[in-house]
Amino acid sequence: MTPRTRRVLEFVFDNLVWFMLILVLAVFSMLIPNYFQIGIFTNIIEASSVLGVMSIGLALVIITGHMDLSVESVAALAAMAVGILFCSAGIGLGIRLSPEWLMIPVSLLLACAIGALIGLANGVLVVKLKMSAFIITLASFIWVRGIVLAVSGGRSAQDLAPAIRWFAIERFLGIPLTAWIAIACFLIFSIMMAKTPFGRHLVMIGGNETATFRAGIRVTRNLLVAFVMAGAIAGLSGWLLAVRTSGATANLGVGLLFNAFAAVVIGGISLKGGVGSLPGVYAGVLLLSSINTAINLMGLPANFTQVIHGFLVLAAVLLDTFKQRLRQRLA
Amino acid sequence: MKRLLAALLGLLMLSFATQASAAAPSKGTVYYLVPTLLDEFQTGSVSALGLFLGQVGYDMKTLNADNKTELQQSQMNDVIALKPAAIILAAVDFNALKPSIESARAAGIPVVEFDRQITSTPSDFTSVAGTVEIGHIAAEHAQKLLTGKYGTVKGKILQVLGDPGDPYTLDIQKGFEEKMKAFPSVTIISLPALQWEASAAGTIVSDQMLANPDIDLIFLHAAHLSVAAVASLEAAGKKPGDVMLMSSNGAPVGLDLIRKGWLNTEVEQPLYAQAAAVAMFMDKIVGKQAIKAGEYDVVGLKSVVTIEAWGPNIKIPGSAITKENVDNPAFWGNQKPPTAAIKSVE
Repeated sequence: MTPRTRRVLEFVFDNLVWFMLILVLAVFSMLIPNYFQIGIFTNIIEASSVLGVMSIGLALVIITGHMDLSVESVAALAAMAVGILFCSAGIGLGIRLSPEWLMIPVSLLLACAIGALIGLANGVLVVKLKMSAFIITLASFIWVRGIVLAVSGGRSAQDLAPAIRWFAIERFLGIPLTAWIAIACFLIFSIMMAKTPFGRHLVMIGGNETATFRAGIRVTRNLLVAFVMAGAIAGLSGWLLAVRTSGATANLGVGLLFNAFAAVVIGGISLKGGVGSLPGVYAGVLLLSSINTAINLMGLPANFTQVIHGFLVLAAVLLDTFKQRLRQRLA
Repeated sequence: MKRLLAALLGLLMLSFATQASAAAPSKGTVYYLVPTLLDEFQTGSVSALGLFLGQVGYDMKTLNADNKTELQQSQMNDVIALKPAAIILAAVDFNALKPSIESARAAGIPVVEFDRQITSTPSDFTSVAGTVEIGHIAAEHAQKLLTGKYGTVKGKILQVLGDPGDPYTLDIQKGFEEKMKAFPSVTIISLPALQWEASAAGTIVSDQMLANPDIDLIFLHAAHLSVAAVASLEAAGKKPGDVMLMSSNGAPVGLDLIRKGWLNTEVEQPLYAQAAAVAMFMDKIVGKQAIKAGEYDVVGLKSVVTIEAWGPNIKIPGSAITKENVDNPAFWGNQKPPTAAIKSVE
């Protein structure tokens, strides 16, 4: 095999999810009337904003070889906090700040701070006390959703302050600002992962934690920061959830965790850690979102969505194994 | 020290005596097994049942099954061991709870089915809104709205169901589509929002409004789903009235949307009446007395008790809420429980 062929093959392997996305979009455009239009593609990008942002946080932890199952509940709690404070109907307190734009940074900071605090708690227990990330974050997944239920009493907050809601209504280049936030997050975190020592250290930790520690890298601190970041990003996805639905219900975001996992795995992040990139995750998110949209437009039973997602994850894992073997052969 | 101890003991005895004289003797404890507390109807049912059962002399304790069948089965078994005066069950799964109902009744504990009718095995009383009937009422209003627009019943309806595993939404769908069959010029697109999740409903609405911009009416099976639908319509530049909207269950958020002009009709599930009916008949249920068939007035609503193969069954009609009657305090969405105390049926 020539070096050129090898490079081409490696490029294809590394970006397989993007090729899958293009293929899926082309097939749906041929099969479903009304699918091939700007509006639908805009919808796909918009619908993927919450999932996309949540997947970034999850990917940051998974790439280190750890796990964060709490992100869905963290998002729900952040959404509920924003809903209760800044919604004017239902259980919303209808707090208004002057000037009104002040509500944007305040609500954003609140959502991210809630997430960061839970992330910190998770991180301390996992990293400092060496407890299983799976168990600790599973417990957080449960108790945080419990708090959502307790503070809301099962009721909903409705009618989010127009200053915050503006993000869901206003568009730039035809795409809602909520989607731009997700795109910006992917750009920023992709650069961080690829170009900063912190990003590279996270990948190294996932590759071999002991070797990274022996190389003099502060593994504990980096892992702790990854958990805090994952929490804060989950808080941001909760903020987006509240903005998109103009409020919060106690079951808001239920099931997002599994979709985020699917997106991360499909996007090429290895569950063992150390492998993957965030642009791939974004392609995974868009792939899932385009399939959901297709299911909506075809009128297939929604349970079908889960079947398809399940098979997609399975296919992604098989593909990942296949890629690793082929890489070894190429090497 | 001795004086201090004596004073404390005295205070303790005094507080016991005061409590004993203040509390009216309870007729017993009734357990309410609520399927979930994730929506306003369910949380409302806990407070309404607690209030009305208290008025007829019972204490109530609630156990939340968190939408998990196996958890509700264990809860039933635990409660049977406690030998309560009665169990009120809003089943997560109709078939799976059948053996538990049979065990409770075999242990001499009356079982009341609340909101979710189980017909496969007898129980001591059933209080339901009639979910199929909610679908019928919704269909009548859909016909009115489409006639108002076109002069005849025609057009396109997007029906957003709740979770496809929940019989509540499937029954409403059944009732709605049953009545709409008579109008072949109406196209109905039905899509479910998995786990009753609001943002899923919002996504369905935004996708469908693009693929089928000629949708005339959107019917959502819960008020909290219509909040997300309105958010999607608003994001798409729509104003109140541009697309006709209906939803069901009568939650406070639905009533707010009617006031804001987004929602045309909300078909209420008569929560207060459903709960009041249970309280009205509780003495007879606990005393294992016969319940007579016939018409009863339940907080102002004419309701019918029939004796079915699965036991006495009260069906309470849901009502359509529109701009004209939205402020009626009888609707549970206005959160003003009836002021007159519930009285037991003689």
